[in-house]
Amino acid sequence: MATQKDVKNRISSVKNIQKITKAMEMVAAARLRRAEQRIEHLRPYAQAIRRMTRRTVEAVEKIPSLPLLESHDSEKRVGLLLITGDRGLAGAFNSQIIRAGTRRAGELEGEGKEIAWYASGRRGVSSLTFRGHQVDGAWQGFTDRPAFSDARDIAGDIASQYIDGKVDRVEMIYNGYVSPLTQDVTTDVLLPLKAVEQLLEEDEDAEGETEERESGHKTLWIYEPDPEEILQRLVPDYIEISIYRALLESTASEHGARMTAMRSAQENAGEMIDDLTLEMNRQRQAEITQEIMEVVAGAEGLS
Amino acid sequence: MARSSFPAEVLTPEGQVWEGEVEMVSTRTLTGSIGVLANHAPLMAMLEPTELRLYKSGSDNPGAGGDVERFAQGEGYLQVVDNSALLIVEDAIRPEDIDRSALESRLKEAEQARDSADEDSEERRRAERDVARAQAFLEIDSGS
Repeated sequence: MATQKDVKNRISSVKNIQKITKAMEMVAAARLRRAEQRIEHLRPYAQAIRRMTRRTVEAVEKIPSLPLLESHDSEKRVGLLLITGDRGLAGAFNSQIIRAGTRRAGELEGEGKEIAWYASGRRGVSSLTFRGHQVDGAWQGFTDRPAFSDARDIAGDIASQYIDGKVDRVEMIYNGYVSPLTQDVTTDVLLPLKAVEQLLEEDEDAEGETEERESGHKTLWIYEPDPEEILQRLVPDYIEISIYRALLESTASEHGARMTAMRSAQENAGEMIDDLTLEMNRQRQAEITQEIMEVVAGAEGLS
Repeated sequence: MARSSFPAEVLTPEGQVWEGEVEMVSTRTLTGSIGVLANHAPLMAMLEPTELRLYKSGSDNPGAGGDVERFAQGEGYLQVVDNSALLIVEDAIRPEDIDRSALESRLKEAEQARDSADEDSEERRRAERDVARAQAFLEIDSGS
């Protein structure tokens, strides 16, 4: 049976854990705010690129054939890009991505397709390797604070494999950021990129772009080089931006998930401390009773 | 003589890096170096990695390197319309923030990737772009 001292030690170690989880929650909250800001910062850039694309498409006589827009004739090998975090202790954040990826892979294999695995984040890479999958692209070490260059690396690798015919379709699975408390497992088709026309239609909803359109209309633009060539570079930019946005949302989600996980860990620690304190008091009571009984027994023996 | 100024803005995916009045924007397009002054005709250009220079208003003698904002600029686009310049670029790093050792290892990696990639593959073209960017940034670093 545990002595009073043992229980006391346990209480102090649980209290320590509670302090650590409290600190981790605060760190996650601060990082979450920063991650949210970075999602905001991307928006003007993405809009500028979109506006440029629209203008460029209007200027080209004939949309050149762009390998990233074209679907491959036969889809034999499908790439799955899993976006996870480098660290754990964030509730279901990483495991739900792995689970969704494995499920999707099962469906695709059922259709007789081969899977090419890509993963960003140490957790995703290690669980894929652990499951015996060969990982065709692994990127890690930046998920706390992804930079655009990280997205460029991923996009570059995947796009060139697509263009070189090593993969016929790529889907991306990540934790979409809804709010600090909710993350949504999202699956996006990365490649083939939706046709330019479709991209542009989608943008009609974007705010405040109609007037811009009027004023920009009929302007004689100088293109350097010609618009066809500019378009060729704009299209891969979309992939970079999509991946960058997914990385940012995933980071925000990770911090949100960690915040929630750490808060519930604190609550659990609190309950544990209550239980242990109760046990300690009981223990102390038992020890006192024991001593009194010994004293009484001793006194009785003397009389 | 002071030149007339116009607004310029530098946007990257990581946010707005600079905004203000300038007399000249100097950068490099796919076809060569370019300096944009006020009242430039509408222009849409593709930019190569280079040193971006923004000559701010009041710098009477830009050549003296007085009031000039410098950035290591990655690939991107320059858009000039209604007498204002918008630079949409992938990177815009202050020369003092350049991490030389990271760039050098990056350059080595990219060169290896380029040399091991097949002739005329997308992988190779991409590695070449990475090499060009790392080289341009390293040059800016040693120049400043």
